[in-house]
Amino acid sequence: MDVEKTVVEILADLTGNDDIKDDMDMELFESGTLDSMATVQMLLELQGQLDIEVPVSEFDRQAWSTPNKIIARVKELQ
Amino acid sequence: MFKRLWQIFGPVLVAGLCLIALLLSPLQLGRPSEKTLSTAATSLSANVLKGEAIKDVAFNANYIPMIGSSELSRMDALHPSVMANKYNWQNKPFLLGAPGTQSLTHFLSLQATGNHLNGKKAVVVISPQWFVPQGVKPEMFDFFYSPLQTTYFLIHAKDSESTRYAAKRILELTSDTTNGIMRDALKNKALGIPLTKTQKVYINNVKRPTLQHQDQLFSQLFIRGREQELRKGLKVLPRRPDNMRLDQVATELGQKATSDNPFGIQNSFYEKRVKPNVDKLKGEQSHFNYESSPEFADFQLMLDYFAEHKVAVQFIIPPVNARWAAYTGLSQAMLNRFDKKIQYQLKTQGFNNIVDMTNDGGEQFFMQDTIHLGWRGWLKVDQRLQPFMKTKKAKAVHYHTTNDFLSRDWQNVSGDNIDEFD
Amino acid sequence: MPNLQPYANPNYFLILGVALMPLVIGLLNGKRWHIYETLVSLLFLILIFDGDKVHQGIALIGYVLFEGALIWGYTVYRQKHNHTWLFDLAVILAIMPLVIVKFVPFLNPGSNSILGFLGISYLTFKSVGMIMETRDGSIKKFEPWLFLQFMLFFPTISSGPIDRYRRFKKDYLKVPDRDHYLDLLGKAVHNFMLGFVYKFMLGYLFGTVLLPKVAHLAMASRGGFLDISWGLVGYMYVYSMYLFFDFAGYSLFAVATSYVMGVETPINFNKPFASPNIKEFWNRWHMTLSFWFRDYIYMRLVFFLMKHKITKNKVLIANLGYLTLFLLMGFWHGLTWYYIVYGLFHAIWIILTDVWLRFKKKHKAHIISNRWTNYLAIFATFNTVCLSFLIFSGFLDRLWFH
Repeated sequence: MDVEKTVVEILADLTGNDDIKDDMDMELFESGTLDSMATVQMLLELQGQLDIEVPVSEFDRQAWSTPNKIIARVKELQ
Repeated sequence: MFKRLWQIFGPVLVAGLCLIALLLSPLQLGRPSEKTLSTAATSLSANVLKGEAIKDVAFNANYIPMIGSSELSRMDALHPSVMANKYNWQNKPFLLGAPGTQSLTHFLSLQATGNHLNGKKAVVVISPQWFVPQGVKPEMFDFFYSPLQTTYFLIHAKDSESTRYAAKRILELTSDTTNGIMRDALKNKALGIPLTKTQKVYINNVKRPTLQHQDQLFSQLFIRGREQELRKGLKVLPRRPDNMRLDQVATELGQKATSDNPFGIQNSFYEKRVKPNVDKLKGEQSHFNYESSPEFADFQLMLDYFAEHKVAVQFIIPPVNARWAAYTGLSQAMLNRFDKKIQYQLKTQGFNNIVDMTNDGGEQFFMQDTIHLGWRGWLKVDQRLQPFMKTKKAKAVHYHTTNDFLSRDWQNVSGDNIDEFD
Repeated sequence: MPNLQPYANPNYFLILGVALMPLVIGLLNGKRWHIYETLVSLLFLILIFDGDKVHQGIALIGYVLFEGALIWGYTVYRQKHNHTWLFDLAVILAIMPLVIVKFVPFLNPGSNSILGFLGISYLTFKSVGMIMETRDGSIKKFEPWLFLQFMLFFPTISSGPIDRYRRFKKDYLKVPDRDHYLDLLGKAVHNFMLGFVYKFMLGYLFGTVLLPKVAHLAMASRGGFLDISWGLVGYMYVYSMYLFFDFAGYSLFAVATSYVMGVETPINFNKPFASPNIKEFWNRWHMTLSFWFRDYIYMRLVFFLMKHKITKNKVLIANLGYLTLFLLMGFWHGLTWYYIVYGLFHAIWIILTDVWLRFKKKHKAHIISNRWTNYLAIFATFNTVCLSFLIFSGFLDRLWFH
């Protein structure tokens, strides 16, 4: 399964914002696109769709702040 | 790297060095102007009391210290500061005191004026309320505690029983624990041991100049005189200081101001401070006692200062509002015993200039509220102050102080048993 | 030895400057002298907790030993098993000292628990955080020496900022390269100077000069509807300013001291009064505390509720999260009605803000949003925040009930 596609789909779905597909370096937290609630949903979706376990402790906003960074982290964890 | 370090720390270093140079320099920074003195004289500001610079200049000019506590702030038209301004007294009162200042605070402040009061005059208003069994409250002493004046004390006070007693009391009452050297030096004084070399050098060359410069720079800022009250008072006073006219004015003012309660207490004070608890206060003060208190020994420290510097002093003992005392159960007999004791302490040591008003509490419009002098009370004070303050120089004084009044026995003895004390 | 309260008087800064000098020289030359660092920490802990504070010092030692043993035990256990009930038990035990300290004055007004010491609440955040990260498997072993360094890091011991164990460990074990360290020193000097202006000039002006005056005015003009008066309004703003400048000043000192020691303690304040809404405010005010609550309480609770599908209603989940977070924060401040009302106030406010933000998102086209509406939002947020601080101050308790 394509990690990139899945992550982008999840993000677009959660935020209702299709711009994410065009701007993969968008600062998700600074721009207010992603909040704590959506973050948790994202972690759960990643768990369900890609079968990776991300405990909340491991979630460091700095390392997960853009779509590209998220993809990189997910690949690392797979 | 050194360039960057210099960029980071250079400005801080330079600023710090400038500050140290300024604080430790022997320069006298800023001399209080005539205007500052007149403002400070009625400000009752804690910074002025805790400082030295303003007082020293004032006592060399035509100001005579008037030492007291809360009553000084009751500035109606007959208040000495207003009278002195209106009738151009040669020498004007310099008010020193605020609610919470008692003998020990005043002693510390007086001794720090050193020789500036030598052979001059002073007025002391003795509040019976200072002489409660616990003496001055530590938090009050702490609030008016002046490290600057303490440095003067540490450097100049010669070893004697009263010096040792004073050092002990300061140690007991202040919570200023930040400075170990000052504390140790006070301990030495309390034990009658000379200060060590380190203590002397530090206090003389670092602590004192620093505090002195802070006093010179800052104690003049933020003081507010009571121009408004002064102006209001000046307007209602008659052109000439005719005693009959003045008494009339005092009566009229008093009448108008105390209309809404049976105690002769100023209306605003009554509404705010008395009325809310008036029922609770009935009979509440019957156990009050001003006869046994460490304050008697603290008070002796002031007397020792006056004797050493040959200061002529006029003492004023104000009464308590008699109708109020009757209501709260405060005993006039106890007040009389207090009076007897304090008079004994004064007279046996040669302090004979006493304006005793202990039994005037029932006079009409004599008190502004429960314990503070007002209109006609002030007038009586004025009549004694005016001739006393005509000259600033004291005639030869003959005091013979004794350490007995520092003793625990004296602190505790009641007014009726003075005869047993010797 | 004199007793010195952290960052309270010139002597403290003087001693601090002298004590840190060798560390600076070491770090500039690529060396971190852990032994000297530890001695300095020890010296300051003694200065803070000696003299009449010595019983607090003893309580601190007892506390650290207790938490250390607890976390050690849990870490050993966690290497083999992972039961939820044991995790719960560990967390409950970890907060127990703090709970006792908060309950004693509540049950017995005027008295204080002998377990209490300056900074216990902040240390509790640190230990609970460690237990949670151990449960998640992010912390794998217990390192007694690092644990002690982390818990007893003296610049932040009394009132934060609240650091995280793994972040701290990373800084503590490495030597920053010279250029970066010089940057840190520059920031540290800036923070110290700004801190002086905040705490000793503005904080003094608002807290010592003005606050008693407006308090007196408010107390003197009681009697109207809810005792509201201009004095009370003045108190609200003056107290809010005092709270900010005093606390932000303190935090600047703590961060600056950490930087000098080569530890990048996170900042605590980021222009909070420029926030256009309350959510943003909590991202800028007492940041390490709100992030702690966000990461360890809110996100975990939301995670739990969603994972176990307790409800599908996301709005409800978010609101439950807020309510829990802010009520806990209220209780943490102390067991008085005004801290709890303060917590509720913020919970309700943030829930309403979410309602508005959702509405705004839906009706984007019809809602004006420009520079001026942003200023209006900042103004409204600031005033409401001040109102919440008036509740927090406890002054209403004095005004109404005493």
